[in-house]
Amino acid sequence: MTTTWPYLDVHQSRTHEPTPYESKLAATLEEVFTKDGHELTDVVRGLNARQVHAPDGAQWTEESFRAEMNRLGA
Amino acid sequence: MTLSVKDTAAAVKDTADHIYATGLRNQWHPVVPSSFVAPGAMRKVTALGEQWLLFRRSDGTLSMLADRCPHRGAPLSLGKHLGDRVACWYHGVEVETDGTVSSVPGLPGCNLEGKKLVTSLPVREIGGAVLAYFGDERHPEPAELTLPEPLTDPEVDAILCYAEWNGPWRFAVENLLDPMHGAFLHHESHTMYDGDTTAKFRIRETDRGYFFEKTDQRGVNFDWVELCRTGVDWVDLTIPYPPSAGPGGPFGIVGMVCPVDENRTGVFFWRYRRVQGWQRDTWRFLYKTLIEERHWQVLEQDRVMLEAMPADADQRENLYQHDLGVVRLRRMYRAEAEAQARAAQPAVSAPGPVPASAS
Ligand code: FES
Ligand SMILES: [Fe+2]
Repeated sequence: MTTTWPYLDVHQSRTHEPTPYESKLAATLEEVFTKDGHELTDVVRGLNARQVHAPDGAQWTEESFRAEMNRLGA
Repeated sequence: MTLSVKDTAAAVKDTADHIYATGLRNQWHPVVPSSFVAPGAMRKVTALGEQWLLFRRSDGTLSMLADRCPHRGAPLSLGKHLGDRVACWYHGVEVETDGTVSSVPGLPGCNLEGKKLVTSLPVREIGGAVLAYFGDERHPEPAELTLPEPLTDPEVDAILCYAEWNGPWRFAVENLLDPMHGAFLHHESHTMYDGDTTAKFRIRETDRGYFFEKTDQRGVNFDWVELCRTGVDWVDLTIPYPPSAGPGGPFGIVGMVCPVDENRTGVFFWRYRRVQGWQRDTWRFLYKTLIEERHWQVLEQDRVMLEAMPADADQRENLYQHDLGVVRLRRMYRAEAEAQARAAQPAVSAPGPVPASAS
């Protein structure tokens, strides 16, 4: 924790530098939200259509996407 | 000898200027993020132009003490954390978290022991920030505090961003009461690129402050702001997100400002969104990974501009209709600073014949 003035920290909500997987997933999510829609079904379909899968390589399901966002966004 | 009316007027003005420059008293202000004081740690902070010590016990309980040893004034922040009290480094005097001297090791039984000689401010923690009540001598009891709803509503998720700027606290609040700067200063940003660059504004009074809002556009840029005075001063506003940010609509900002001293300011911005479940988690993931940095670039535009403003910026202006929100703010703060200064003065005795010996 810095004690010097001024405190100017770009990243205050992160606990770690995003991994390449996290960066790719985030960028793809933005693209999906922009092009495909905001519903959970749109998101799952959009990610799978772009071949951006979960770390274990599996296709996304609504359940696995919810669980992963819960892990990454909590 | 009593002060002459003229001297009293000058003293009131000096005090009012000082209050205006270093923050209004008898209300709550944010101090620093909670994470700045870990359990079992202490931290020196400056707020309202004075030095303070934040002291946290290992169980998380937080206290805030004047950073001044009651013995001979050494900073307690250089001392030692003893769990439930701090020991001054200079001669070892121990002070409890309520400001009571618990021990004078060099002279046991000394009459300082048991006396409450250090100012201790009431503190609350909300949304990851420390809030403290800064009363003057006449108002030591904390003012009633109503917390901003976006920070207490369980349907809303808020993430704090804190930054320290070199400039008067008022400029930072004025910047928030000036929505029109969004369409110019932040024109290249990811959220404020849209909307008209001309607008008409109005002030709408509420029972806790006022809205300053465009009459002809809402939900496109930074189009309105509400100043709320609920024991702590804060602003509420919303800014639209582009579709890339996913479900949940616009994001809001609860803004607060810490007057550190005359020329330094701590700014607290909670970015909040009405999201739950996977939508909340996804927003937070995108926020951490991509959005926070973009928001930061926008905030940096404010910082660069405000830090470059001359200290006498508000003395030599030519205002127009868009500045009504700022004018209203200044009048309110100035009047309150003057009222607090007058209240702090000893009553002026009725003018009468001045004894020769007193002149
Ligand atoms: S000044 Fe602190 S113990 Fe003497
Ligand atoms: Fe701004």
